[in-house]
Amino acid sequence: MSTASPIDHALIDRAQAGDKAALSQLVSLFEDQREAAIAQRAEVLAQLSARPKRQPARMIGFTGTPGSGKSSLLACIALELLRTQPELTFAILAIDPSSHVSGGSLLGDRTRMRVPPSERRVFIRSQASATELGGLGPWSFQVCRLLSHCVDCVFVETVGIGQSEADIRHLADRVYLVLQPLAGDEVQFLKAGIMEIPSAFVLNKCDDPSAERSYHHLRGSLGLARPWDADSIPIYRCSARSGAGIAELTQGVMHDIAQHGGAELVSKEPYFFERWVRDEWGRVGTRVLDAALGGASAYLERSHGFEAAQATFGGHVREQLQSQDPTRSQHTR
Amino acid sequence: MANDTRVAAHQIAGKDGQAAPDQPWIFRTYAGHSSAKASNELYRANLSKGQTGLSIAFDLATQCGYDSDDRIARPEVGKVGVPINSLDDFHVLFEGIPLEQMNTSMTINGTAMWLLALYVALARERGVDTKKLTGTTQNDLIKEYLARGTYIFPPEHSLRIIAEMYEFCLHEMPDWNASNICSYHLQEAGATPVQELSFALVNAIGLLDLLKERGRFNADEFDRAVGRISFFVNAGIRFIEEMCKMRAFSELWDEITRERYGVQNPKYRRFRYGVQVNSLGLTEAQPENNAWRILIEALGVTLSRNARCRALQLPAWNEALSLPRPWDQQWSLRLQQILAYETDLLEYPDLFDGNPAIESKVAGLKRDAMQEVQRILELGGVRAAIESGYMKSALVRSMSQRMRAINNGERVVVGMNKWTEGLPSPLVAGADGGLFKIEARDVAETLASLERTRKQRDEGRARAALERLQKAARSGESMMEPSIECALARVTTGEWAKALRGVFGEYRPATGIDGQKLGLENDRVDRLRRRIDGLIGKLGHRPRLLVGKPGLDGHSNGAEVIAVSARHVGFDVIYSGIRLSAEEIVSAAVEENVDLIGASVLSGSHLELAEQIMNGLREHGVADRIRVVFGGIIPAGDMAALKQIGVRKVFTPADYSLIDIMESVVAVIEEGIR
Repeated sequence: MSTASPIDHALIDRAQAGDKAALSQLVSLFEDQREAAIAQRAEVLAQLSARPKRQPARMIGFTGTPGSGKSSLLACIALELLRTQPELTFAILAIDPSSHVSGGSLLGDRTRMRVPPSERRVFIRSQASATELGGLGPWSFQVCRLLSHCVDCVFVETVGIGQSEADIRHLADRVYLVLQPLAGDEVQFLKAGIMEIPSAFVLNKCDDPSAERSYHHLRGSLGLARPWDADSIPIYRCSARSGAGIAELTQGVMHDIAQHGGAELVSKEPYFFERWVRDEWGRVGTRVLDAALGGASAYLERSHGFEAAQATFGGHVREQLQSQDPTRSQHTR
Repeated sequence: MANDTRVAAHQIAGKDGQAAPDQPWIFRTYAGHSSAKASNELYRANLSKGQTGLSIAFDLATQCGYDSDDRIARPEVGKVGVPINSLDDFHVLFEGIPLEQMNTSMTINGTAMWLLALYVALARERGVDTKKLTGTTQNDLIKEYLARGTYIFPPEHSLRIIAEMYEFCLHEMPDWNASNICSYHLQEAGATPVQELSFALVNAIGLLDLLKERGRFNADEFDRAVGRISFFVNAGIRFIEEMCKMRAFSELWDEITRERYGVQNPKYRRFRYGVQVNSLGLTEAQPENNAWRILIEALGVTLSRNARCRALQLPAWNEALSLPRPWDQQWSLRLQQILAYETDLLEYPDLFDGNPAIESKVAGLKRDAMQEVQRILELGGVRAAIESGYMKSALVRSMSQRMRAINNGERVVVGMNKWTEGLPSPLVAGADGGLFKIEARDVAETLASLERTRKQRDEGRARAALERLQKAARSGESMMEPSIECALARVTTGEWAKALRGVFGEYRPATGIDGQKLGLENDRVDRLRRRIDGLIGKLGHRPRLLVGKPGLDGHSNGAEVIAVSARHVGFDVIYSGIRLSAEEIVSAAVEENVDLIGASVLSGSHLELAEQIMNGLREHGVADRIRVVFGGIIPAGDMAALKQIGVRKVFTPADYSLIDIMESVVAVIEEGIR
């Protein structure tokens, strides 16, 4: 979309009513890296917030090791939801890694998600992780804030996680960790702290002969990793290939969606604002935010919103740098 | 093979002990187009010209299990082969052709069981004894997953179908080849000779292991089943190596069948193979040169008597431009006839036995191939190597190495990357431009026939037959007889496939887009990356490109190489996969809000698909924002029409330089910003 055109009300209406071209255009605005887009985003969100209140969408994260079959599973869940939940609308945000050499990416999740093109209840969008390491892209949070107003549920499929910290827990109300049988020794998971994140486990490819053993390994290691809820945490056994267990998993997901009252995304803004500051302004920015502005929560509150805080933050950084040393006014980007 | 004492060492002993030349191989021409009626006329004309077997090309709808009036099938009807919707079409296709005298090869895979059932049903309705039928159903799903793309069901179920066909044929059609292990398509997808050998052998081993495991054959029947395994091999331009490959194939097959399966009778251990020579190396530039390439490639599979093919199909000189016209096919057939009847080729025993250079080359190929066979067996065999994407990645890697060698001139392709200046070819100077176009009239005929069949059939019988088919599919009973009953009951191709899709599901394979090496590390790549980075400021995002294959043709490797190249230069690439309707492409492009769609079409349906895509974009109100380029086998005469429809740029096999392609794609996006 063009740079500084005013936001068209009709576009927002259409997006909320399930028009894919309109919603898609708005998503692009929320991924737009130009300065001018910040104000436009603020306007879109202001308009959306002024509309009759609808429940904010539930945010459900799907994460797991590369190759565990996250996309195929989500595709199965999507089809099952379409079949059984005529009223439900949802979006899938699928994030894949970018090349560190070229900056480009290959987003192949759509090959596994085949939904009838005329289906208006589901919206699928691929995103590149750019240089982020935590499994989400730099714009994932912003896009979720938009989608939150337009659908009942947002599924976020992260980049396959390994050792890095999982950002998804700061974004999603519920996180499903997808594992495949014999996905390496469980010590790896304990070490990485990954086992502590999810609210449920999915053991995919359960038609594999080794699946039974893996299930018991997983149960066993949960006792060590999170003794407080090891017995009550669900482990779904399914197979995206044969369809086994998909109905149960989908019921579990539906249960999560139906349980409203999850924290609204506004409560998650400080974390992602800090992250944005780190991306855009580096360590200098983080120092300014913490030392001069009293931390992300306080600054966001004073600024009246995420976009407003983004728009004014650069000024603070420049101010600080100049007051410290007028000869060194570079910022790290 | 042992020479009789009454003939000299340079002669072949005939049945009576006197010197006599060999019988020639079977001459085939891969043919079929438009409609059952038009194809029938073509076959009869070819047979009267001295062709000795039929090789039937089916259209993509038939190959993928859709009726001609299915939305996804409509643009493809009659394009790359004949459309067959029901037994009524088969009656038309074979009218005036005596089945019992015909050797019929059908290039059919995902729906092979169905087409075989139709053939059997046709014989039954004509009162022909099915034991007299000879021919082949290609029916190799492994290579479909790897290279050709007309699979329907997941590997497990596809392999069961193949096994059931062997079990049926051994008793009911003992001279029929239930399947053909195809290495042909692997070479088209970039396979090296070692990969061709090893992947084909591991495929055959997977099949025989399965037949053994199912336990429906006693020891004698199993040996006979081994004897029914035949191969379909490619022959490329490096014709000495190719001949050695054929010799290696023969020797390895003999060893494997003896050692792994204990087959004693040498007759059942013979490596039986048919050939279609290479199309991958045929060029769009200076297309007349292809005639020589085809001739040389034919020599590779005929010169050595001990490794001579049993059937040969030659492509036509203009295959890189369009489907061949009847005259082009006749010209290729004449080549075979000259080779077999004018030359003295068939009078000699093997010319290469004992040649140290040949023996050494063959031994090297055998050793490398067996190493790879061993590796794949250790990975869990052919099914595991498909499902994990191992084989696909290996092929994609070989293909990108080949592209790199052509790009940097290491591999000479005359007229394409060397000696590119030439006089205009009179072969493409005629009114039709040397190209073939089918007429829309035939599509209407096919659709009318389908409607007639549906109206006139006994609906109750058709329903019952489909139910019985599904029941067999679920219970593990053979689906062959139920399929024949479906054929007799005038069930349609789409209905048969839909019934089984309902039980088995549909397969989406590993793409193999990882692990490619493009060889594009140079200044031009760096400059292009900076140009793309520069676009971020203008677009607000890294440029987004959707790569997809609308239509039913499954040759995905070209699209995958483009997708990987685009990432390499800095695009965010949404790869949407193969076998998509135009609507699905449009819907994906809209949801992803891409800047450009790159659609790859090899089936000849580019005009219809371009029209559908542009209309779809207009319906969503994004035609001004999302630009479209096409790539594929697109005749020069259609360029203007595509531009008229709104396609910004068209790439053909003549555009083989990946960096050139990427630069012009970026230019198309830049134009859109201005």
